[in-house]
Amino acid sequence: MSLRTNEAQLVAMAVTGNVSQPSLRYPGYTLDTNGVGRVWPGMAGVVYNARVGQPAFGWAGDHVEPGVSIANPDAAAEFALHYLSCIGNRAVVTSGMAKGAEGVVTGEHARMLVNFPSEANDLLCVGDSIQIIALGRGLQLLDFPQIEIKKISPRFIHSMGIEVAGGKIRVPVTMALPTRIMGSGAELNSEYVDQDLMTGDRDLMAELGIDQMKLGDVVVIPNADHRWGRGYRKDAVTIGLCIHGDSVMTGHGPGILTIMSSSEPVIEWVIDPNANIANYFQIGEVS
Amino acid sequence: MSVRTNVDKTVAVSVMGQIVSPGFPGLPASPYMVTADGKPFLLPTYGGIVYNVSVGDSAYGWAADTIHPGVSISLKDDTGNRGLNLFACVGNTAVIMTGDARGTKGVVTGKSGRFSEQVIIHFDLATREKLVIGDKIVIRAQGVGMDLLDHPDVKLKSCSPELLENLEVTSGENGKLNVPVVASVPAHLLGSGAGLTSEGGSLHIQAADRAELAAAGLDQLRLGDVVALQDFDSSWNHGFLRGALGVGVVGQGDSPRNGHGPGITLLMTSMTGGINPVVTPGVNLSDIFGLSN
Repeated sequence: MSLRTNEAQLVAMAVTGNVSQPSLRYPGYTLDTNGVGRVWPGMAGVVYNARVGQPAFGWAGDHVEPGVSIANPDAAAEFALHYLSCIGNRAVVTSGMAKGAEGVVTGEHARMLVNFPSEANDLLCVGDSIQIIALGRGLQLLDFPQIEIKKISPRFIHSMGIEVAGGKIRVPVTMALPTRIMGSGAELNSEYVDQDLMTGDRDLMAELGIDQMKLGDVVVIPNADHRWGRGYRKDAVTIGLCIHGDSVMTGHGPGILTIMSSSEPVIEWVIDPNANIANYFQIGEVS
Repeated sequence: MSVRTNVDKTVAVSVMGQIVSPGFPGLPASPYMVTADGKPFLLPTYGGIVYNVSVGDSAYGWAADTIHPGVSISLKDDTGNRGLNLFACVGNTAVIMTGDARGTKGVVTGKSGRFSEQVIIHFDLATREKLVIGDKIVIRAQGVGMDLLDHPDVKLKSCSPELLENLEVTSGENGKLNVPVVASVPAHLLGSGAGLTSEGGSLHIQAADRAELAAAGLDQLRLGDVVALQDFDSSWNHGFLRGALGVGVVGQGDSPRNGHGPGITLLMTSMTGGINPVVTPGVNLSDIFGLSN
């Protein structure tokens, strides 16, 4: 049985943002789980040497946002950028030396995250305009109305290797995450940005193999209901996407973007180490 | 006081706030919030003078979203409000400085976090009748910097000397600090507030899964109840850590929003298990401070 969607009814619409500048607040320290002050890069800007497909753990950085982070200075336009852009959407540089270069949306954090080839990254200037052809908001699985879909483009849904059988879908994921380590982001609605893992218990991360997570991994959170907000619900299932790297801060860690959720047991999963958007979108190594 | 502290070296300082109006986003925003099941709701929420909900009442059942018992204050100036939210401690005395109730004293009973950042104060009902939104209230803030001299592995947060004095904590023979609590919250039922600061604000019990809530013995909590937080370290933010334990007080009521429920104001935390929670019925601020309505 094939995965039937309403994608013929989706509207494609342009939204835009600008390459962001990293910013720090004086005195710049982020406290780690032991209370030690750290000054580390990671968020915003063009990150030249971290991209999806690479490890989410181990960087000398905090909340590392792979690739290019873009934002819109107008608050309403910024929300449109966040709410309408979907993973797998096409992005085009529309000003500056890299004008015309094409990339792909890989995540949503405090800014939208876009992957471009290294040659384009080298030519990007802070402030350059990037336009996203937003397509995917409103996407539904026609045979599974109980599954809430968030920020999945048609390109993404068809590249995930989803199987349909027995009135359920089966999604390839790299790993399963326990709800008790789902942390920062619980205070936000689940249409907006991500929820961090709480990785302060380093022994547990190693025991469960969570420290092997890669940027761009598709993961499952059993007993989590992320349809409206993010919280615990027995037997609910949420599928997420790792969009940023680990953090030293208590209650933080790699960011998991909600992409699918159901309170009814219709989402199954199969462990597949290749369940990563770097594979789905043919994103190569850093050159 | 049954445990030794450096209270004689802690500083008492004024922080002021004004009674804050309940607020909603401006037009053309929709006035509705959304429940964990996706249903829109419009209900009284934090802020204001709440006439009929007090510390000691149930934390559940109100037609409201994270309601604050009594009176909520904040300061429009951001850095000043941060000072108010960080330095005010549960149990500190608050004095009304303006209006018809000036001179009347109340007690700080909780704080709220991201998106509201208010301090919650108990006044008796007769006093609440005299208050006006905008009235100035000064809190004699004392508690930040207070340490337990024989328990260096326990950090106090938003815990006033008045509260520590009356909470009946003791040093156990095993070197742990015995703290009476009405219940323990397992880590998987802690939600909003994780990853945010533990020096102010709130950490919420997740109440969307009612069966799970009842199974954990958390569905009968009252506003003002003292509870333990299992496997959570709140030394510098709130976050999961096996073996860590926190103690807090239920400062705000239940919420229909996902990831939310009764809000807890942290009082103390130990990342190495230095706190021994002793389940004791009825440990509530209303009795600890003899709060009257």
